[in-house]
Amino acid sequence: MSKTVFKLNDISKTFPGVKALSNINFDLLQGEVHCICGENGAGKSTLIKIMSGAYQPDKGGCLEFEGTACSLNPRKAIEMEIQTIYQEHNVFPQLSVIENIFVGMEITNKGIVQRKKMRKMTQEALDFIQCTVSPDAIVGTLSSGEKKLVEIAKALVFRRKIIILDEPTASLSASEINFLLDVVKKIAKAGLSIVYISHHLDEVFEIADRITVLRDGEKVFTRNADEIDHDQLVRSMVGRDVSAFYSREYFTPGELALEAKNLSGNGVYDISFNVRRGEIVGFAGMVGSGRSELMELIMGAAKKTGGELHIGEKKVNFKVPSDAIRHGMCFITEDRQYTGLFLDHSIARNTAIANLVNNKKIFSTPKYNLKIGNGFIEKLNIRARDASVVAGTLSGGNQQKVVLSKWFNTNGDIFIFDEPTCGIDVGAKQEIYKIMMDLLKQNKAIIMVSSDMPEVVSLSDRVMVMRNGSLSGELAREEISEENILNYSIGGSKI
Amino acid sequence: MKDAKSKRRLFSENSDTRTVVVISIGFFLAIVLIQLITGFTATGKWAYPSFASPINILNILMQTAGVGLLAMGMSVVMLLGDIDLSVGMLVSLVAIFIAKGIRDWGIPLFAALILGVLIAVLLQFLMGLIISRFKVESFIITLGGSIAFRGIALLMSNSQEVTLNNQLDFFKTNLIEGAVNSQGMRLQLPVYVTVFFLVAIIFWAMLKYTKFGRRIYAVGSNPEAAFLSGVNVKNIRLVGFVLNGLCVGVASVIMLARVNVGIISIGQNLEIDAIAAVVIGGLSMSGGKGSIPGVFLGVILMGAISNAMNILRIGSEWQYVVKGLIIIAAVTGGAVSERMSRRKTLRVQEIETRCFVNEEENEDQVE
Repeated sequence: MSKTVFKLNDISKTFPGVKALSNINFDLLQGEVHCICGENGAGKSTLIKIMSGAYQPDKGGCLEFEGTACSLNPRKAIEMEIQTIYQEHNVFPQLSVIENIFVGMEITNKGIVQRKKMRKMTQEALDFIQCTVSPDAIVGTLSSGEKKLVEIAKALVFRRKIIILDEPTASLSASEINFLLDVVKKIAKAGLSIVYISHHLDEVFEIADRITVLRDGEKVFTRNADEIDHDQLVRSMVGRDVSAFYSREYFTPGELALEAKNLSGNGVYDISFNVRRGEIVGFAGMVGSGRSELMELIMGAAKKTGGELHIGEKKVNFKVPSDAIRHGMCFITEDRQYTGLFLDHSIARNTAIANLVNNKKIFSTPKYNLKIGNGFIEKLNIRARDASVVAGTLSGGNQQKVVLSKWFNTNGDIFIFDEPTCGIDVGAKQEIYKIMMDLLKQNKAIIMVSSDMPEVVSLSDRVMVMRNGSLSGELAREEISEENILNYSIGGSKI
Repeated sequence: MKDAKSKRRLFSENSDTRTVVVISIGFFLAIVLIQLITGFTATGKWAYPSFASPINILNILMQTAGVGLLAMGMSVVMLLGDIDLSVGMLVSLVAIFIAKGIRDWGIPLFAALILGVLIAVLLQFLMGLIISRFKVESFIITLGGSIAFRGIALLMSNSQEVTLNNQLDFFKTNLIEGAVNSQGMRLQLPVYVTVFFLVAIIFWAMLKYTKFGRRIYAVGSNPEAAFLSGVNVKNIRLVGFVLNGLCVGVASVIMLARVNVGIISIGQNLEIDAIAAVVIGGLSMSGGKGSIPGVFLGVILMGAISNAMNILRIGSEWQYVVKGLIIIAAVTGGAVSERMSRRKTLRVQEIETRCFVNEEENEDQVE
């Protein structure tokens, strides 16, 4: 029995309106690969951010490192020999491998940087993981897989005890993935402890010694990898309380609103689907599966390289979003702060902007916009005194309603909702769902991208599942279930 | 009561101009006070401060009309989140072209003026095209433009001054001919001052009341969101530079009419003055915030500072120091007051939301 190096006792973390983690117990043994599995939003990222000191847990829980209780911040985590390798590369592309590894921690002798010594240490680490990259190579010229290896080499150079890998294979090719998994196995054998997070269950089964499953911020179980199989793992990741689901009314879908035929471009390939009036077509898939990219493509915000798009009966070719808006398209983007709102402008101005495309008049007066904005404040129950309030001062739910006002003002009839309720509280969520139902009643069509599983399951008439930039499955209403969606998004089949 | 409330709100939306209003009034009062006191201590009598006399105020307007026009064009460019460092040398280039055209190349007066303005528009169009299509920093492109324009201007004039024979005096026609002040001195309101006023009013209305204006603010505030909301970001930026070119062209004519000499120094450092006036007027360097009335006051304030120092017989060395300090104070003051007002609105909103929620709950209970 190897000894425990790191332990989380009874950890909870609450964000405004969301309980991200509740009463998590977690332990890490020396020399093991410990995988953490769960859907989007299960609490994996929050957990590793607590392990790396980026977040402080709420009061009550405690962390133990080699048997002694401690609290963490990023600096301290590094001192305690925990290295986190995030999904996005945390490298300096213009610097060499050596400089990347030693940045901020250069070995010096009387203020002079000891290049030779640093090179030797780098070379040793690279040799250990059998990486052929030169220590002097500029990191920006390396492939994604090699960048990951450089980050692992860094952990080795500084003799870290724990390495946390967050989705390390997300942007890697098949051969690079195999090489990386071998490296992980090798360094675990050398006595390092690895926390490994991945959506790819086949990888998990290949390297895991133990698996911890999280669901909605709670730990489902921690088990040895050889005690469970693929199906059991999938089933443990899904399965929620009924109260998380929204019960909606269904309408008979009307005529075809939008149809994509073999659409390609912007990182998605060969997508065909359609939406009819009065229905919601949900797009599910793991983060990074190309859903938002597809929506940008449909909206004309990215260049189409192949395929056709039809609005109703008409073939269209959107070059810029304004073309799409003229055809009644509305795009509620994923990130309302950066791509949806003008935070330093008033609600009135935010509401007015998209409809300028349809408006044939030259003038757009503050008084008129204020009137329109006030109308929407009443209609959508936005918590603001009047439309002259600056959008940036509103809460998340109310900001989302301002984005909705902007699009309702264009009188469009095909709505793309990208993560419609991301980061907003439960009450506002219900209100947004109700607004979506009202849209259906008015015979509008909705395409909804969502990583919130209950949302996809309970709101969609049909679900399209995406994986690696293409469609991996289509589910009719009676087939929609968490298991089926999850299976398609990680590359399995219907159960 | 509701009207009073909405009026107050409308004012607070223009909170970025508040600082310049406060500083302008403060400066004006300070100079008047200094003059009154120094006048009293010197002669023992209360004399009317010459700084506030009609003749001096008209003087300030005459001195600032050129920079004011540049500031109007610069406002549009800076609202879009760009900047133009080339306007100074572009003024020199156009002024020298017009002077040379009239005097040496035999171009008819009217045609030379039109051509001069068109050159300014065309060069700005080219720079705008590069900036908006290739997504490069306007700072660098216009800096390069500035250096190139200086070279072209020097080449055209053979590095010499081109003196005119008062051909452009039309622009100096006095609109209030015959008006005199209490001491019988002649008052002047030249045509070119009204040109500045006219352009300021047009730009103000354009930015505040038109679709185009809405789009300018949207692009400056968040280009990505603007694009996704159907704004053609590239073209809006391009048109911004074209409008700026128009302002530069007209400003060049006015500057040339004032000094009667086409010379490289005519536009030297004008871009700095224009940017300073715009920034004092409350426009945000990052774009999307600010208004023309603020910039107008900024222009007048900048002119008034030099003018007041001349009246108080303070050397030009000190003028630079004071001008610089006032710019720093204005922008810092603006940032601080904005942060304070934002904190205040947040607090007010929080309270109101809470009241709003309570009201609703009460209603429920009544039902």
